[in-house]
Amino acid sequence: MPAPRWAVCVDIGSTFTKGAVFGFEGGEGRIAARAEAPTTPGDLARGFEAVRRELFARARANEPGFAAEDAIVRFSSSARGGLRIAAIGIVPDLTLAVARLAAASAGGKIVKSFAYTLTADDVAALETLDPDIVLLTGGTDGGDEKHNLANAAALAGARISSTIIYAGNRTARDAVAGILAGKRCIAVDNVMPEVGAVRVEPAREAIRRVFLDTIVEGKGLAALVDSLGVAPKPTPLAVFELVRALSEECPEWRDVCLLDIGGATTDCYSAVEPFRGEPSVVLHGIREPRLTRTVEGDCGLRVSAEALFESGRALIERELGSPPLEILAFAVYIGLVARYPAYLAAEARETRFDAIMARTCAALALRRHAGVLRTVYTAGGKAWVQRGKDLRAVRRVIGTGGYLARIAEEDFLARALAALVPEPEERFLVPEAPVLYADRNHVVPLIGSLAAEYPREAARLLARSLRPVAGDVAQERNRRP
Amino acid sequence: MTAGPPYTIVLGVIGADCHSVGNKILDAFFTDAGFRVVNLGVMVSRDEFIDAAIESDARAILVSSLYGHGEIDCAGLRERCIERGLDSVLLYAGGNLVVGKRPFAEIEAKFKAMGFDRVFPPSVDLHAAAALLRADIEEAVHART
Ligand code: B12
Repeated sequence: MPAPRWAVCVDIGSTFTKGAVFGFEGGEGRIAARAEAPTTPGDLARGFEAVRRELFARARANEPGFAAEDAIVRFSSSARGGLRIAAIGIVPDLTLAVARLAAASAGGKIVKSFAYTLTADDVAALETLDPDIVLLTGGTDGGDEKHNLANAAALAGARISSTIIYAGNRTARDAVAGILAGKRCIAVDNVMPEVGAVRVEPAREAIRRVFLDTIVEGKGLAALVDSLGVAPKPTPLAVFELVRALSEECPEWRDVCLLDIGGATTDCYSAVEPFRGEPSVVLHGIREPRLTRTVEGDCGLRVSAEALFESGRALIERELGSPPLEILAFAVYIGLVARYPAYLAAEARETRFDAIMARTCAALALRRHAGVLRTVYTAGGKAWVQRGKDLRAVRRVIGTGGYLARIAEEDFLARALAALVPEPEERFLVPEAPVLYADRNHVVPLIGSLAAEYPREAARLLARSLRPVAGDVAQERNRRP
Repeated sequence: MTAGPPYTIVLGVIGADCHSVGNKILDAFFTDAGFRVVNLGVMVSRDEFIDAAIESDARAILVSSLYGHGEIDCAGLRERCIERGLDSVLLYAGGNLVVGKRPFAEIEAKFKAMGFDRVFPPSVDLHAAAALLRADIEEAVHART
């Protein structure tokens, strides 16, 4: 598809609606205008229109050649906290792990996971959560059916308004669809057709359709979709497609991670060969795809600060050092920012606390996104078992979100990763000596809504707009012979 | 040489054992013999055998051990299957199950006491093993219905 002359991209976030106009005339893309306005939760179209009006006015002022008729409009939305998904699988390391992968890569937020058969308590928890989607998986094709049938029956009796996506054993598909006839239910191909084999595309596509059908209803989005003739994407899906475009279109960005540290969550995306296949290393568990996303609900700088203090306690205490007063002061600060998420660090100590939190978010998110290598001593010598994804080849990490886009700390990633201490005979497969590139112009996720249609333009625009964080450049230069 | 329904079986070499040649032969042989083989390869833990058997609704788990530590690696597999809800799965073991030369009857008795349904020496005739496997599975299926 030939590039449009102008693209107006808007992202409707939970607090702000942000937009930019990108110009693609003359080959290289550029930012022609940007604007933002508070999100209007009751009627999202109002905030959107305010931003669009402002963008048009600024683009006209900045670019004599700008004409609204020549511009395409694309948008993404994470309003209402995004798509809430509950994942169900049988074995935690197999179908449940794949279901979580599918949900996250579709841009969903996993509100709860359930293994094996749903209990009465599980059903009660589901009813309380009433997620947008229940992703029901389990069994290889031709494999186990009984868990799926039992879980379908439990869901049929549950008071939930969720859409149920069945992506389990295809042999049980008709039976499951029959049991769930009273619910909104979509059946797609199995996410794990064979033990360890991962196929998340059909489930991802189903999740995207549900997003369009149910999330877009109401809140003014439907009218917007009608008038624009295009549907929004879940914001994380826009970013996912952007990472894919970057990896496929720009050779120097082939192996890449993107970290988005926010107030509530830390998202990690990666595009890299998941398994190197060296001799004496065997891959166990599921074989993850090249492109994946994970979301950490307990890693955030504000709303999730208290959860972070709990999950990252060991890392945080090591950073703070021994004085007990520091830990106390940190705990007080955590309580403050969790209660007042708009709070900005006002003095050196608070800035340091923010930095410690951010490094901890990065460390935990990368460690969980990455796999682990374990040494096995066999009678014939050492061998290794790999579980999860190998990120060691990743040399470039993109930092986005308020904190990382503005980061000045030169050795941010090096310090974050150094804090991770594996168990003896264990090794985290996190990037080795990566360079951090900051999204200084705040173009992620905006360009993301162009990435599926115009991968080359989106990827190049992003690549040119990223800046290596100062100290890391020297490090990269030193690495070259 | 397919005869009857394609029953699912899980195959792998247990523990820290890297001997992969026999595993590949068994995979090809049992696939040819009409089974659906879920092959987990080498260095497979007890829970990985069980995880795969649960998801694939396997009728049997075929454990190989070549490097001599079979006895330690296989101990407790049956108990763990029961604990995790796989109460009727068949357990077969084969290979060089223990260190050194010991009378096979002794090895067989030991593994049967550990809950294995059948035990095979390296010299086993695979056709005979496949026939036994099919018969055992069919008997178990009938017993259930
Ligand atoms: C090749 C080999 C290796 C290679 C393996 C390469 C690879 N990628 O596979 C290497 C050099 C790495 C190796 C290492 C070791 N090996 Co080695 N190895 C052998 C050797 C020579 C051949 C194995 C083979 O491939 N056989 C061919 C296949 C087709 O046969 P198979 O494996 O027995 O499998 C068949 C049957 O057993 C049966 N079967 C197996 N499982 C099951 C299960 C069921 C249910 C059924 C029905 C049938 C069945 O069917 C299979 C297919 O026909 C054997 C000796 C031998 N001749 O068997 C020693 C041998 C197995 N190794 C041995 C040992 C001790 C080791 C080491 C511990 C130390 C060493 N000597 O180096 C290490 C262990 C490493 C580890 N962590 O596993 C000993 C084991 C002794 C014991 N059990 O008491 C053996 C028997 C040699 C010996 N006589 O001492 N080894």
